[in-house]
Amino acid sequence: MLTLKIVSALLCYPQPDLMDALPELAALVREDDELPVVERGRLVDFIDELADSDLWTLQEHYVARFDRGRKLSLHLFEHIHGESRDRGQAMVDLLDVYRGAGFELKARELPDYLPLFLEFLATRPHEEARRLLDDASHVIALLGARLAERHDPYAVLFDALLALIELPADLGEIRAQAASEGPDRTITDMDKIWEEEQVTFLASQAPDGGCGVAAAGTAQPLAFVPPRQMRAPAPSQPSR
Amino acid sequence: MSHFLDRLTFFRKTREPFADGHGARTDEDRGWEDAYRLRWQHDKIVRSTHGVNCTGSCSWKIYVKNGLVTWETQQTDYPRTRDDLPNHEPRGCQRGASYSWYLYSANRVKYPMVRGRLMQLWREARATKDPVEAWASIASDPAKAAEYKTRRGLGGFVRADWAEVNELIAAANAWTIKQYGPDRVSGFSPIPAMSMVSYAAGSRYLSLIGGNCLSFYDWYCDLPPASPMIWGEQTDVPESADWYNSSFIMMWGSNVPQTRTPDAHFMTEVRYKGTKTVVVTPDYSEASKFADIWLHPKQGTDAALAMAMGHVILREFHLDAKSEYFDKYVRETTDFPVLVVLDARADGSYVNGRFLRAADLEGGAGQANNPEWKTLAFDEKTGNLIVPNGSIGFRWGEKDSLVGKWNLEPRESLTGADAQFRLSVNEIRDAVVPVAFPYFGATKHPHFAHTNHDEIQIRNVPAKKVRLADGSEALVATVYDLTLAQYGLDRGLGGGNVAASFDDDVPYTPAWQEKITGVPRAQVIAVARQFAENADRTHGRSMIIIGAAMNHWYHMDMNYRGVINLLMMCGCIGQSGGGWAHYVGQEKLRPQTGWTALAFALDWNRPPRHMNGTSFFYIHSSQWRHEKLAMSEILSPLADPKDWQGTQIDYNVRSARMGWLPTAPHFNVNTLKFAKEAVAAGKAPVEHLVAGLKSGKVDFAFADPDNPVNFPRNLFVWRSNLLGSSGKGHEYFLKYLLGTTHGVQGKDLGEEGGEKPLEVQWREGATGKLDLLVTLDFRMSTTCMYSDIVLPTATWYEKNDLNTSDMHPFIHPLSAAVDPAWESRTDWDIFKGIAEKFSEVCRGHLGVEQDIVALPTQHDTPNELAMPEVRDWKKGECELIPGKTGPSLVVVERDYPNTFKKFTSVGPLLDKLGNGGKGISWNTVHEVEALATLNYTVLEDGVSKGRPRIDSDIDAAEVILMLAPETNGHVAVKSWAALSKITGRDHTHLALPKEHEKIRYRDIQAQPRKIISSPTWSGLEDENVSYNAGYTNVHELIPWRTVTGRQQFYQDHPWMLGFGEAMCAYRPPVDMKAAEPLLGKRQNGQPEIVLNFITPHQKWGIHSTYTDNLLMLTLSRGGPIIWISEVDAKKAGIEDNDWIEAFNLNGAIAARAVVSQRVPEGMSMMYHAQEKIVNTPGSEVTGTRGGIHNSVTRTVLKPTHMIGSYAQQSYGFNYYGTVGANRDEFIVVRKMAKIDWMDEEVDSDAQAAGH
Repeated sequence: MLTLKIVSALLCYPQPDLMDALPELAALVREDDELPVVERGRLVDFIDELADSDLWTLQEHYVARFDRGRKLSLHLFEHIHGESRDRGQAMVDLLDVYRGAGFELKARELPDYLPLFLEFLATRPHEEARRLLDDASHVIALLGARLAERHDPYAVLFDALLALIELPADLGEIRAQAASEGPDRTITDMDKIWEEEQVTFLASQAPDGGCGVAAAGTAQPLAFVPPRQMRAPAPSQPSR
Repeated sequence: MSHFLDRLTFFRKTREPFADGHGARTDEDRGWEDAYRLRWQHDKIVRSTHGVNCTGSCSWKIYVKNGLVTWETQQTDYPRTRDDLPNHEPRGCQRGASYSWYLYSANRVKYPMVRGRLMQLWREARATKDPVEAWASIASDPAKAAEYKTRRGLGGFVRADWAEVNELIAAANAWTIKQYGPDRVSGFSPIPAMSMVSYAAGSRYLSLIGGNCLSFYDWYCDLPPASPMIWGEQTDVPESADWYNSSFIMMWGSNVPQTRTPDAHFMTEVRYKGTKTVVVTPDYSEASKFADIWLHPKQGTDAALAMAMGHVILREFHLDAKSEYFDKYVRETTDFPVLVVLDARADGSYVNGRFLRAADLEGGAGQANNPEWKTLAFDEKTGNLIVPNGSIGFRWGEKDSLVGKWNLEPRESLTGADAQFRLSVNEIRDAVVPVAFPYFGATKHPHFAHTNHDEIQIRNVPAKKVRLADGSEALVATVYDLTLAQYGLDRGLGGGNVAASFDDDVPYTPAWQEKITGVPRAQVIAVARQFAENADRTHGRSMIIIGAAMNHWYHMDMNYRGVINLLMMCGCIGQSGGGWAHYVGQEKLRPQTGWTALAFALDWNRPPRHMNGTSFFYIHSSQWRHEKLAMSEILSPLADPKDWQGTQIDYNVRSARMGWLPTAPHFNVNTLKFAKEAVAAGKAPVEHLVAGLKSGKVDFAFADPDNPVNFPRNLFVWRSNLLGSSGKGHEYFLKYLLGTTHGVQGKDLGEEGGEKPLEVQWREGATGKLDLLVTLDFRMSTTCMYSDIVLPTATWYEKNDLNTSDMHPFIHPLSAAVDPAWESRTDWDIFKGIAEKFSEVCRGHLGVEQDIVALPTQHDTPNELAMPEVRDWKKGECELIPGKTGPSLVVVERDYPNTFKKFTSVGPLLDKLGNGGKGISWNTVHEVEALATLNYTVLEDGVSKGRPRIDSDIDAAEVILMLAPETNGHVAVKSWAALSKITGRDHTHLALPKEHEKIRYRDIQAQPRKIISSPTWSGLEDENVSYNAGYTNVHELIPWRTVTGRQQFYQDHPWMLGFGEAMCAYRPPVDMKAAEPLLGKRQNGQPEIVLNFITPHQKWGIHSTYTDNLLMLTLSRGGPIIWISEVDAKKAGIEDNDWIEAFNLNGAIAARAVVSQRVPEGMSMMYHAQEKIVNTPGSEVTGTRGGIHNSVTRTVLKPTHMIGSYAQQSYGFNYYGTVGANRDEFIVVRKMAKIDWMDEEVDSDAQAAGH
């Protein structure tokens, strides 16, 4: 899907070559019938806005937005595994997916970097791409919602992605979460977010299985979303 | 097929049992098990550790799969040490285990970053100019410079690539060197032991170009100056396993279970052998829970407690009922028998003065060499006054029969006759005289108790007459006599101010200390008695583990000397299971002498430029402009104030010009230009400089710090969080050094009219002195936020390096388990890259240049005997003679275009001059040859052709391992042989069994290796004893590197006498005067209280850093916290978890309150280094983001730490110098009325809120 490649390019750190390619990208988006008309229009507007901007400002803002702190990290597993040791294995699994499709990482990047992931999907058959993107829909929705909360123009890119897939069933909840997180630096509800869940050892008494449930019969597929809840954002740094 | 459908719901297969019914076959799909099998599969396991300043040095297994780190576990294969000792493993604590995250964290610095404004200016300039000129056009244009300097700390970074950023840095360095001189480029990096190759990378580059390496140990205030004073030793301590040999452990201001987690087991285990544990902390710390007895003196009054314990021990084990063991120990290994001259005062009383020296006697007492550095004692056997072996005069320049007399054999030096040193002159006294002793406990302080005793205490002391060379007679007493008087012991000599009973209210009895410390006298007596009794019976197995809590006070020397005196009185130093265990921020750099050659490029140029960090930062961050502590406040009541005028910076300027402390920059001239002009005028550069200094044409930079020619200009920070952790006076750094938004509340002396310096030019305060601040880190620390350029470094699992600790005897690798992620590089590669670019861009601007290095007189060199008396050439008291009455001035050739070639090869000076350290040197030609075969040689033409290569970090590690005695048995034997010549005793037996052992980098990757004993250290690595400091002094009779050659209770330098610290005393904390001026002045409607501000090491971070780790934040309160007591909380209406503000003249902090029974009234605690980048709201006082713990501190200097050219009190990098004390500070605390997160949308160019 070309859209994915376009979004991937737009999500990268803005460089002169991207700026040069913006008119071309805008033209492609206009013809891209995979996207609903509304999203197409917004995406074109976004590209135009980039084209009208000073590259220095774009770069400074990009670094402040995506390179600093956890909350808007473009590394998908940051939002799923955080600093849990599961993250290493998750990245290995994702790398296997790429290798299975005949790709190797060329860039000095981690496999869960969203623009990288999107570039990979862009090379895949439609259905497969859509399915994998579906798997990541929670993170995409969350990042989009957080950007939207900040009235950040980059939110458009995430809306475009969501327009390509089935919306997560709990999109409303995700948006509510993003809205209730409040400003990036507050930790007023941190205790609540991080409250430890009760550990139960008797599966039948725990609504969602609980710890210690017999694992027989449950395979462990590559997962972008853990069975319980998405990790809450880490208390993050102020951007200034 | 799905596992669900595979499963039969209603049937099961008929089982066909086998193995007599013990086995059964099933056909179920067991694919689900793969999840678990794969879970623990990996491609490789690599050994590494966390290069952090916790002294842990723990071995970890790093699991790698497909080039990614997947998990880590503790490694458990340490070699066994000694019989009967518990194993070292498993090492590695929960905090270390939370590290993996940093590797892939969103907080990781992924790309080189430059502040956008600076990058724009650079590209514009670079479009038309060569790199050096481009930088010149920015740095020399105040308007352009202000554009990016004022943006520091306010974000606005853009990514850059390595080539561009290296060019910018190299150009800045080259221009600064060309314009102002190489000593305007500095670097700060702490604790080489935690990753010594990474440290060496930056310091090697700086040393080649002539930049300054700034010391850290003193700046962190972890250096206890008491250690150099007493032993001539920076810090040497027992390994943690030796705790297990102790039978009485005191943990005094050291929170062992919290800050020494992997080692704490030795302490907990030995209790099961019956070892008693006593804990001394003002708060109910984690360590207190392990105590049999917990003493909790008021914070900052520990010296009073120690003095009272010393009183008890002197009374019961020395004076009234002698311990035979103690008696022999103090006679032979301490200065107790050494004689001190008693000087007459105008009122008929006397005062203790200098040690009696051979030079004072007729004919120098037969000592032709260094008679002014040889001390005397009485011999009990003959009754003669003798010059015993071992004083520092015997160490240097001795000839013929007197060579090899620098040892502790109890002999008369000329004849070699056996001697028994007389402890006291009382039995042979000519008189009993009144001697005046300063008493500081009467000093009034708003928050600490004082007593009403006279500030001059006259006590009777026995004295013996000695005829001097000029025919006059002098009275002398032994240090033992003076010590008994200082401790207030009644010896039946009459007179007042001495105590016969512990209940007398006389300084320093157990009764006296109650008012000051609050500790019941009975507890003091019981602990002192038990401590000594145990030491007496076990020959020294009483140990005191001590921590930074004691050392961060202004009068830390008194805390430490008080405690060390106890250990010396009881014969514990140098004995297994006994002694002084100070584990603070030092981390023993075990292969030190191998490392120094690499790190300071001694293979190419000598000497390197070393600068003491505390003075550098105090002066350049203009904290002296706000000084409120007058030196008259701390002067001895016996000193004449007329002779002791000036402020802290005045003393520092005097010290520097007499060649005691170093300077950076040196002078108000560019040393390169100066040397060139001298040569052009047909003059020798050094003589020309001396003439300039004498005439006043040239002056020291510190005498005019606000003059732009004296700014420090360029600063590298690596492996450090200078601005987020160690930068005492944080807000002053921001204001003056960086020139950006700050929270300083006070006015400088110009506006306020305080005591201005005498030796320093007063100008309007300069701001933004640094043109370029470059920080290397792998996470976005507070320092990175304020830097102009941030370079992404490899983490501890992405580089090859070496790591050692004082806690265990193993040398340990850091290994590159995976390649550095994103654009990060190892520190070695980063500085190599900068060196390469520098060599390129400097062409046309810098060639082969003559530089002049001003070197202070160094400890452990013959120069340490430079100044037996204090003479200031500037005041006309003597001639300016470099290396004698002023710093040595050494011309060093710098071949700038060849910097890279030199950086990457081993230079020829090692073959020519050899290698060494701590006063001994040895030939190292064989080792250089071996390196040539190991690392191969350089093939390219040029200065480095044919020399051993140092391309990679592993090459660099091999240089260290090959050259160091600790890791190369041949070198160890050579170094012991070199020492044997000076001591006259054969020490080579200590290393001969390991002569053929050589430790290579790959060896330690296979398993940590135990180091080989070397004379660099005072302990042994042996199959029979655990490493313990002072062991070789006591058992091999190697002298301590002090004036007397013995452990010194007594310090006789005139400045020590002037400030009343010849002997240990109790000195109350100093009044910083920073809180009260703001009390009630910035009201927000909440009640305000004033509290002492203590900054201990933390629970929720990896030692003093890495509090931004999410696991740690989660376990804590998720942001900055300050602990206060329940009593104070009630007074101020504060409840647990409330947002509070702490402020004083230095700045403000916003944090949450932790209200706890742990904390005593009047004190607050803020764990070290809580980053202001995490959840810190705005301050109501400053209007900017609430600061870090150091926002309310400011450092203060002590003149006694500036002493130099005087044996053990001579400068050494990280060995002696001013220390950054900060615990005497008080803050105003109140509940915040409004929490402002300062996160509302603002125009990006007007993000003036700041951090």
